[in-house]
Amino acid sequence: MDSLIIELSRSVERVEIHPVIRFLYSHDLLKIPKPLDWFVRRPVCVVQPKNDIEVLSVLKFCRKHKIPIVPRGAATSAYGGAVTIKPSVVVDFTRMRNVEVRKEERRVVAESGAVWLDVEKVLNSKGLALRVYPSSAPASTVGGWIAQGGYGIGSLKYGSIADNIEWLEIADFEGVRRVEGEEISNFVGLFGTTGLIIRACLKLRDNVEIRSVSVEMNFDKAIEVLEGAYHASFINSGLSRLMGLNGDVLLLSYEGEVFHEGDPELGRRVWENRFNLFKAARETEVLVTEAILPYQSSAEFYEKMKDIPMEAVFTKDGVVFLGLIPVKGYYSSALRAVKFVKVAEKFGGRSYATGLLFPHKGLADAAAVDYKRKVDPENLLNPGKALQANPISRIIRAAEMIL
Amino acid sequence: MKDINFREVAEKCTRCGYCSVCPTYRIDGWESVSPRGKLQIALEYLNENYKIDSRIVKDIFKCSVCGLCQEICPVELPLLDFWEEFRHMMNKNKLAPLSVHRKLREITFRNYNPYSGDQERRGDWADFEVRPSKTLYFAGCTASFRLQNLAKSTASVLNKLGIDFTIAGKDEYCCGSPFLRTGQRDVTEKLFEKNFRYWQRAGIERIITSCPGCYRTLSLDYPKMAEAKGYEFDIEVIHTVSILDQTGDFEKIDLKATYHDPCHLGRHMGMYEEPRNVIRKIGISFVEMERNRENALCCGAGGGLRSQFPEISFEIGRQRILEAMETGAEYLITCCPFCEYHLSKSAEKLGNKIKVVDLVEIAERLISP
Repeated sequence: MDSLIIELSRSVERVEIHPVIRFLYSHDLLKIPKPLDWFVRRPVCVVQPKNDIEVLSVLKFCRKHKIPIVPRGAATSAYGGAVTIKPSVVVDFTRMRNVEVRKEERRVVAESGAVWLDVEKVLNSKGLALRVYPSSAPASTVGGWIAQGGYGIGSLKYGSIADNIEWLEIADFEGVRRVEGEEISNFVGLFGTTGLIIRACLKLRDNVEIRSVSVEMNFDKAIEVLEGAYHASFINSGLSRLMGLNGDVLLLSYEGEVFHEGDPELGRRVWENRFNLFKAARETEVLVTEAILPYQSSAEFYEKMKDIPMEAVFTKDGVVFLGLIPVKGYYSSALRAVKFVKVAEKFGGRSYATGLLFPHKGLADAAAVDYKRKVDPENLLNPGKALQANPISRIIRAAEMIL
Repeated sequence: MKDINFREVAEKCTRCGYCSVCPTYRIDGWESVSPRGKLQIALEYLNENYKIDSRIVKDIFKCSVCGLCQEICPVELPLLDFWEEFRHMMNKNKLAPLSVHRKLREITFRNYNPYSGDQERRGDWADFEVRPSKTLYFAGCTASFRLQNLAKSTASVLNKLGIDFTIAGKDEYCCGSPFLRTGQRDVTEKLFEKNFRYWQRAGIERIITSCPGCYRTLSLDYPKMAEAKGYEFDIEVIHTVSILDQTGDFEKIDLKATYHDPCHLGRHMGMYEEPRNVIRKIGISFVEMERNRENALCCGAGGGLRSQFPEISFEIGRQRILEAMETGAEYLITCCPFCEYHLSKSAEKLGNKIKVVDLVEIAERLISP
C-alpha cells in the first residue's frame, strides 16, 4: 500500500493516510449504529485536490489500481453519500473553493468545495444573490448539495437546485467536460456515481432584500397563502418547541414587497434561524428523515405524521417534509424514520434523496443508469450509492417490508 | 475540574459541520483540526477505539480557543470548556504539553511569566510612586514585559480619573491563562496561589486589568479555583474598558478606525458594546469589519497557537489585518495587549499599512483630568 500512496503523492500534494484521519473521513453526518458500522470500511487514503489536474490524477490512479473513489464535500448530508463502504480514495473537495462572479451574465461559477454561505456573501457584496441554497448553507458545499440534489431556501419561487444550474464541469476517467441542459440530470442527485462535480455555473437573482412574516396557522391553510412568496416553510408545534418558538408557525418570505399579513418581528427571527434546525438537538439527539410529497396529498400526510417534530418546506414541485425524530431507543427511532418515508410513498410521495440509505428507491431514470455503465464500467465512482444497493440499504429495505 | 460531561458533549455533536468556520481548520484543512473532527477523536479516544499519537495531539492543539465554534454551534455545545478539558486530558495522560508549551511551562515555573522576564523587575514600567490601595491594577505579563506603554497608559488613565490604585510589582505573577488554555492546570493553580496570597495580604478588594486574558482568568477561572480549594474569593474584577465606558470626559479625535474584538473579552466574556461606546465617545470615525462582535475573526495568537504553530497563527493574523485594511481605516483598535502585539507583527509583515493600537493608549491622550 505504501508504494501506491507514494505513487499518488507524486501527482497530488495533499494526501493523508493517518488511521485516525482515515476514520474521520469514513463517515459523514449520518450516524450509523454500531452493528451496521461493521459495513463501513476505512478509506485507503484521503486526498484534497487543489485543481482539475490533481482531480484527474486521482481518477487516473484509481482506474489504474481499481480503487473506488468517494467524493466528499462538507459531509453534511444525512444520506451517507460520503460514507466509505469499500476501501476507497476519499476525494475531499474543500480545497477547491474558488468563486467567480459573472455580474453581466448574472451567473456565478463556483468550485465544488465552495461553501454555499461563502458564495452568497461574495454575491451579496456585488448586488447579486443565489436563487436557491440549502438549509445547511453555513457548512455544505456547492458540489455536495448538487450531488445530493433537492430543494432549499428559495425553492418555492425558483425550484430545485437542478433548475438553477446553467452548466456543470464534470471530471471522469476520460477527462473534464462541461455538461448542460438535460444532461445535467445525469449528475444531480447521483452522489458522484457518474462523475465528480468540480465546478458549477449557477443562475442568480438580484440581491433584493428578503422580507419575512410569520403567521400562526394550520398546515392545510398554509398551502393556500403561498402566492408571491420566495420561500415558505411550516414549522409544527413539536419542532417549534424544540427551536424555542411557540405553536405552529408558517414563515412567508418575499423578495421585497410582502403579500400577506403576519408578524414581521417573528418572521425576521424565524428567517434568521433558517439554518438552525439542529437547534432541535439541544435537548435530545434527533434522527433526520425526509420525504417530498405532491401538494394535493401533503395535508393528509401531515395529518398522519404531525406527532413528529417537523418542518415542511414549500417548493415549486411539491412539499419537502423534514422530520426530526427524538431518539429514545435508536432502533425504534430509526424505524419511525423509515416509516416516515414509507407513509409518504403511500400518499404519492417519495424519499427526498438516495445516497447510501435509499438506492433501491429508483429515483434515477434509466438514462442515468445507462450513463453510469458507460462512463464507469468498473464501478469505481462511489459504488453502492444512489444507483446500486449496499448491505445497509438491503437491511433498510427488509425493514420497510415489515413496517 | 470543569463541570461539563465530556462524553455527553462529544456524543451530542450532530456533525452538522457549522464549526468549519474555525479559522485554524480553514487554514490547515484536515478534519482532525476541525472542531467536529476533534469531537469525534475525543469520543473514539474515550471508547479506546483509537490511540492518539503525536500527530493527532498536535492537531488537537491547533486551536486558538477563540470560541467561534461555540458561538456558531446550533446544539450549543460548551466547546470552550470542552477544549480545555480535552487538552487537560492530553496533559494528564502524558501526551502533552507540546514542545513549546513545555518550554513556556518551565520558564514560568522559573520566572513566573512566560516571557522570561525578570520577576524582580516586573513593576519597572511604573513611573509613579506606588502607594497601598484596596484597588489593584493587574498589568499582566504582556504589558509588563512587552508593551510597557500600555501599562503606563492604563496607570495614567486611572490617575487622571482619580481612581486610587496600587500595583503589585514583583508580587504580580502571570495569571496562568495560557496554561489553562493549553490544559496545564497545575501551573495556573500554582500561580493562583501566589497571586491570591498576595492579594489577601494586601487586602485587595478590586482588580482592574487591561488584558482580556487576565480578565477572563481572574473573573471566571480564579473563583472556581478558589472554591475548589475552599477559599473565599470576594474580589471584583474589572476590565479597563468598562471604566472608560462608564466614566471620563474626552476630547475628540479625528481619525478613521476599526475595532478588533479580542476573543477573551468578546466571546469569552460577552463584552462587545463597551469598547464601541468609548470609540464613539472620543469622536473616532468608526467602521466595522465584516466579521465583528460574536462573529469576529480571532487575531490568531491565543490558546498557545502563536507559540506552537506560528505559521497558522500569523496566517490568521494576516487575514484579520487584511479584513481591517478593507474597511479603509487608518487604525485598528483593540482592547488586548496580546492581540495588539500579534496584530502589530502581522501588520508589519503586510507593510504597516494600518496601525494597531490599544484603546487605552488613545483614550489616555484624550481624557480630561
